[in-house]
Formats: sequence, structure tokens, C-alpha cells
Amino acid sequence: MSGIGPVEPGEDTSAWDAPEPASSLLHDPPRGRLARLYDRHRRVALTAAAIAALLAGGGYLYATRPRQPPPPPPPYPSQVVEVAYLSSAATPPGAPPRSFSFGVVLRVESGPPVTVSRIAQPYAGLSVTSLPRPPFRTKAGSARKVVITMHVTECGKVPEEAGLPFLDVTLRNTRAMQVQSFILGPRYAQALSSAVRVACDDDSG
Amino acid sequence: MPGKGLIVRQRSLIAITAALAAGALTLTACGSRDNGKSSDSGSGGGTTVTIGVDAPLTGDLSALGLGIKNSVDLAAKTANKQNYVKGVTFKIEALDDQAQPSSGQQNASKLVADNGVLGVVGPLNSSVAESMQKVFDDAKLVEVSPANTNPALTQGPDWQKTKARTYKSYFRTATTDAIQGPFAAQYVYNDSKKKKVFVIDDKKTYGAGLAATFTEEFKKLGGTVVGTEHINPDTKDFSAVATKVKNSGAEVVYYGGEYPQAGPLSKQIKATGAKVPVVGGDGIFDPTFIKLAGANSTGDLATSVGAPVEQLPSAKEFVANYKEAGYKEEYAAYGGYSYDSAWAIIEAVKKVVEDNGGKLPSDARAKVTAAMQNVSFDGVTGKVSFDEFGDATNKQLTVYAVENGAWKPVKSGTYTG
Repeated sequence: MSGIGPVEPGEDTSAWDAPEPASSLLHDPPRGRLARLYDRHRRVALTAAAIAALLAGGGYLYATRPRQPPPPPPPYPSQVVEVAYLSSAATPPGAPPRSFSFGVVLRVESGPPVTVSRIAQPYAGLSVTSLPRPPFRTKAGSARKVVITMHVTECGKVPEEAGLPFLDVTLRNTRAMQVQSFILGPRYAQALSSAVRVACDDDSG
Repeated sequence: MPGKGLIVRQRSLIAITAALAAGALTLTACGSRDNGKSSDSGSGGGTTVTIGVDAPLTGDLSALGLGIKNSVDLAAKTANKQNYVKGVTFKIEALDDQAQPSSGQQNASKLVADNGVLGVVGPLNSSVAESMQKVFDDAKLVEVSPANTNPALTQGPDWQKTKARTYKSYFRTATTDAIQGPFAAQYVYNDSKKKKVFVIDDKKTYGAGLAATFTEEFKKLGGTVVGTEHINPDTKDFSAVATKVKNSGAEVVYYGGEYPQAGPLSKQIKATGAKVPVVGGDGIFDPTFIKLAGANSTGDLATSVGAPVEQLPSAKEFVANYKEAGYKEEYAAYGGYSYDSAWAIIEAVKKVVEDNGGKLPSDARAKVTAAMQNVSFDGVTGKVSFDEFGDATNKQLTVYAVENGAWKPVKSGTYTG
């Protein structure tokens, strides 16, 4: 395709239909009602604009101000509670026959207070009570001794030599409620076995 | 010369500009941003310390192995970024053991020969660890496994009678099968109310050991073992074993082994019409198990080391950082433990460097191994420290069940013995 297009202005030339650059300075532009109003209230208008600008700027800075990150949520109770076996303990008065007791220590390492709402164990032939009775609350940084009393209800449904018996403890804090198994180790396993044996031997004899 | 109107206009403009400027300055001062200093140093400068990695990076178990490698890499990069050990830059050297003891031993020799290696993370498999322990121990090169669970590795072959540590250079962050097997037995017997089990293992150190600890506890609880079988891990046809399971009247199958075999085994057992769940250890706790086992794997169970990730704030941070780092593979079952294993090495190196006036001593390996015994820090998986056998003091584990095509935690335990 060929042909001659519109002629562009060159150096030292100007387009014929371009307005004279100085002409706008020579003549006042036509002034409308709004402009006349502005002339009369220039100070008020400018002050209002300044306030508006300040408010907008302030609003922007407020909206984008640096904020502290939200505090981390409290820990899950199972991650801050430790339950350890202590030793055998005196069975509380009034406990039914074929009962035995032992102490555990419950520590809460950090976070909000933790409430123990239930202590259980997995064997069908055993029932469990404790002192203090659940629910009880323990604060972070403190330890509490709990006396567990087990009652053999049916000897045939209790293993006599479980290797890793545990207590199921229901824990609650402001984060969650969890059932955690605390495997109390070989000393607990041996103590439990011998206590069950004694309870069930007495029963048969 | 400007007229009066123009002067008034200019004065107004000046006043307003000044007011705006003052206001802006005031607001800027009030809202001054504390950008802080983001140290983006990827290098501690000075000495370079290599952390070796040994894991199956190819083959059936590579999903776990690559998760280990990437997590160690993340720990090294994090330490470098923080300039955690002044004057030391960490790098990793990852070797593939293909889950084979012979390859693991060769890799151990190779890592020992590299003087820059001051610690090794790995391996995945207990059988591979057995072949590596002496090589590392002779060179006083510390090894921290994120995944070995066989008790004998730390407590000696007679661990059930007399615990005796054989290798002072061997540590692990994972809980052992001495806890994992019995915990699974307790769950199956007491919670799932299954009294008759068929036990299968793959004859390997991990699988056979785990099956043994499960069986012993299950029997003590009063359960009955209605059959036992060993499978060949090199095959994927378990139809004969599956038929035996069906005919045995078992209510549950316990499998000691890993997911490449456990998945097809579960599928083939269900294909016989036997509606019995398959239960395994951390070796089957991987999404690949569910893919291989198919839709009927719902209700299958696995125990795994540690608490569920969502319960550990530190693990959440690890997960986020791992994602941000852009690794192609998942961190898998041992990612957090691998990061903690690597960080334990970093802590030990830090201690040795600080005790030696900011430089590595000439007998750095021996010193790092000695320092490892006293390492203690809050890691991804909780508090990380080691007992007199080199075992992790933090002993948590969780039972997971397959629900809607994914592993869901159903019970967690803490060993405090």
C-alpha cells in the first residue's frame, strides 16, 4: 500500500489547526456559576479541600498502620501437660474391697490453666476414682499430686501383666478438649500387675 | 508584576500547602513504619559444614526419603539465613540408599571420607541403620535418625532384658517400637475391641521387630493370634496370604512393614471378602498407602511417631516454611523429625564452635558427637533432647485411621515412664 498521508508538523512549523499557545493567556476562559461561587468563597473552599485531604491522608495512614500480629493461640492441653507415676499410696477409707491406690503427679508447663475433667483406664474389669475428683484445674507452672484408686470389678477382664498400661485423661483448656493416653512406664506397669494379682488372688482365696 | 488578587491567591496557596505539609509530616511521624531489618543473608561466611543425609531417594520408599532430604535442606537454609552459627555455613550432601543396607553402608563410608561432614541425618530403615552404625561410630561421626524405630539400635540386641547402648554416635528423634507396638495393641484390643489378630511381617528389622512388640502386648492383654505369615517384600501378589487371613477368622490384621507392600496387601485381603482392618506402624503412615489400598481401606489404622501436626504450633511454622521453600515433594511422615534431627546437629556444632573461640576444633567430629548428648531445644515436634541411650526423650505417638481417603488422628499418647 502506498500514498501520501496527512502532513505532520516539522521543525519550526506548526499545524494549521493547532491553537496559538499564548492565546489562552490573553483571554479569560468563560466563567460559569460554580466558578463565580468559587471566586467568592475561595478561602473556605481551599480550607475545606485541605481538611478533606488531611482526613483522607490520615485515614489512609490509619488503615495501613502497622499492627501487632495476633497473639498465638494457646497450646493444646495435651502438649503442655505431663502425668508421671509416683508410687503406691494408701487406699482412701471407704474404698470397696479389691481396691488399690497410687499417686501420679500432673504438671502444666505453660499456657492457660488446664482442667482435668475425667480420668479413665482402658480395661473393662477395672473402675477408677481419683482424689481430687474431676473436674479440677491446674495452673501453668504448678504441679498437683493426684491419688488414683482402682477397683477390680471383674478379674477375668483385667490383664495381669500388660506391658504398657496407660491412663486416659480428659484435658480441657481454652484451646481444646482432648483425651490423652499417658503411658506411665514400666514402674506403673509392674505396680498395676502386682496390685491386680493381689486383688484377684484374695478374691479366689 | 502580579495584581492584588493574585497575591491573595498565592498567600492562600502557601498557607494551605504549609498546613498540608505539616499535617502530612505529623501523620507520617505518628504512623512511622517499623520496617525492621530483614537479614537475608544466606551465608554465615567462613567455614562450611556439611550435614550428610542418607535415605531412600529413589524406589518405593522415596516419598519418605525425599521428605527427609528436603526437611534437612530447609533446616540448613534456615540456619544460614539466621546466621545461627557465626562463621559457619551449612550445606547438605544427600545420598540415596535405596532402602538397601549395603548401599547405606557404602554411603556411610563415603560420608566419613568427606572431612567437611560433621553429622548425618538418616537413615529411614532400621535395617539400613544397622549396617551404618559401626562405620559412623568408628569415625566418631554423629548420626541422628528421624525414623528408625527398632529398639535394639539404641538399647542393644537384648533390650527386653538388659538395655545397653552399643554406639555412642547414634541418636534418634523418633519414638521406638518398644512403645509403638504395644500402644497399637492396646488400641486394637481395648478401643477397637478386636480380640483375634492375624500377624504378618516382611522379615525386615523394622517390620519383624514391630510385629513382635505388637504381638507380645496383644497376647498379654488377652488377645489371640490366629495366624502368622511372612511376606516377600519384592512381590506384590499377596493373594495366598489374603486367603489364609480370610479362612483364619481373624478380626484384624497387624502388618509389620512399609506401605509399598501394606497397600496391596490390604486391598487383596479386602478383595477376598474379609472385612477386617489392616493395622500397621509408622511405615504405612503415608498417603501412598491409601492410594495403593483403594477405597476399601477405610477403617485401616496406623500408629505414627509424634503428635498430629495441627496440635503443634511449631510444626505449623515448619509446614508453612516448607511450603514457601517450594519443594516438589511432601515432607511426609518424618519431615518434622528430620528437621529436628538436622537442627540437633546444628545446635551441637554451635556449641562446639562457641566453646572453641568461634572456630571449629581439629577434632570437631568427636566434639560434636559429645555435644549431641546434651542438646536441648524446642523443635518442630516438641522438646528435642536425648536420654542415656540416644533415644528421644519426647515420646508421643498417635493412632490414625483412614477416613474419607485420608489419615485422621483418633488417639494420641504420651510416654512418661
